[in-house]
Amino acid sequence: MDKKELSAGERFRRFVKGESVDRLPILEWAPWWDQTIRRWHGEGLDKSLDALGVQRYFGMDGCLQTYFTWRTPQTPHAPQHGHGIIKSAADYQKIKPTLYRDPTTFYSKEYFDWLKKTGQEDGDTVHWFTVEGFFWMPRELFGIEDHLYAFYDEPDLMHEISYDNKEWLKKVFEFIGNTHRFDFMTFAEDMSYNSGPMIGKNLFDEFLAPYYKELIPIIKQMDVPVVIDSDGDITDAVDWYASVGAEGMLPLERRAGVDVSKYIEKHPEMFFIGHFDKTCMAKGEGAMREEFERLLPSWQKGKLIPGVDHQTPPDVSLETYKTYVKLFKEYATKL
Amino acid sequence: MARFDEMSALLQRGKARDLATMVQEELAAGVPAKDILEQSLIIGMGIVGDKFKRNEVFVPEVLIAARAMNSALTILRPALADSGVEPIGTAVICTVKGDLHDIGKNLVKMMIEGTGINVIDLGVDCDKDKIVTAIKENNANVVCLSALLTTTMGYQKEVIDAIVEAGLRDQVKIMVGGAPVTEDFAKEIGADAYTPDAASAAETARAFFA
Repeated sequence: MDKKELSAGERFRRFVKGESVDRLPILEWAPWWDQTIRRWHGEGLDKSLDALGVQRYFGMDGCLQTYFTWRTPQTPHAPQHGHGIIKSAADYQKIKPTLYRDPTTFYSKEYFDWLKKTGQEDGDTVHWFTVEGFFWMPRELFGIEDHLYAFYDEPDLMHEISYDNKEWLKKVFEFIGNTHRFDFMTFAEDMSYNSGPMIGKNLFDEFLAPYYKELIPIIKQMDVPVVIDSDGDITDAVDWYASVGAEGMLPLERRAGVDVSKYIEKHPEMFFIGHFDKTCMAKGEGAMREEFERLLPSWQKGKLIPGVDHQTPPDVSLETYKTYVKLFKEYATKL
Repeated sequence: MARFDEMSALLQRGKARDLATMVQEELAAGVPAKDILEQSLIIGMGIVGDKFKRNEVFVPEVLIAARAMNSALTILRPALADSGVEPIGTAVICTVKGDLHDIGKNLVKMMIEGTGINVIDLGVDCDKDKIVTAIKENNANVVCLSALLTTTMGYQKEVIDAIVEAGLRDQVKIMVGGAPVTEDFAKEIGADAYTPDAASAAETARAFFA
């Protein structure tokens, strides 16, 4: 195929496979913060635009996420942020009938028809789907702090939850395989913070690895690249997720001390998304150009799709963001 | 002979019930509460903190160790009070206004308590007036401010300004932390210390009382 005719999805898939492309994908993998969008509305951004509309307004590749959650409308809500909805095996059994939604009920046929249109007919949109990983999902059930205790206090329950989640995800993947071709997928994890992973490798190997080792080959059979979404310093976690078959990671937060060049050296089989230091944007064009220069060798190796390393903060004006996109387009041809 | 090393080992492994039992036995055998605290529990938490900084143990292991520490302290407190042993000082801790994240704050709280400091936990989403009031009411000498968001870290400066305005700046050392916070930011807003992790925060707080 002529490289100039690549759709956004094809460009993305070819790039992550190390095949030739006309330019880098130019995308924001995560939507903008509410506060950032509100600021831009005040600075002239059309309020009627949805997320894809905003991406098109800036002349970027579209990037649409489809989220498959285990929650149903009947699933209880945590009383406040960070708190959980279970504390014990009895609690889990009680709410289990409200979990693990039938995958066919997530989205309408019209939704998938629309996805198909944006991906194939319009050809300007990358599609990805997200499910919750084996760190994230039990954390949603237990709450942030109780989840960390649960590794020691409720090991059997932790395994029961992850087993159930894994079996349900198999059904989700079967549905997806029969419904739509996504360009990549992520497991939402957020297992790391500024100082590294929240848990050690011993807990990863016991409570996460077995489930990933069973599921990731299924996703690879669907020819959908498997990416782990984990904030913070993922330096140790990259090795662990690579060991269970993950092919990529995002968002590689610079302020957490992440250096993608080291990961590329250690794991040349992987690719990475993000890593553009969001905190430099408000400093203006010079700082942003410097940041693109820092990242240039990594994407020239075919291993990085740059993007803001976890959403554009609200201290970035609309004009500054336009400058970011202008620079991105300039650098995107430097392959 | 007192089983200080065994109690320390139980604490490090997060064995709260076993530790509580042993502490009770040691007290009953006549071992002074102060010795159990200083020669076993504080040393044990210090070892956990050092391992945490070296990524040899992680957040769950710190949490269960701190929980074991608390279970032991619950038993020790009456005996410590009877023998006239006081906390080495008081610290006020919170996550600042607009921010609901509390695990980092909770970790710091537990690690600081593990050094023998009394900690007043004001919770999350904490207003500057509440912090100033808590400093006055508890005669605190250390204030720990946590913020996980770039949008809330700025409030740490508002708190410091309020402490200055209340005439309490000379009374307290102010520590800041949280994912987006840096050493430079801490200096810029007039904090006394930035610590990157809970173990460093506990060491720094303890040093302020030395």
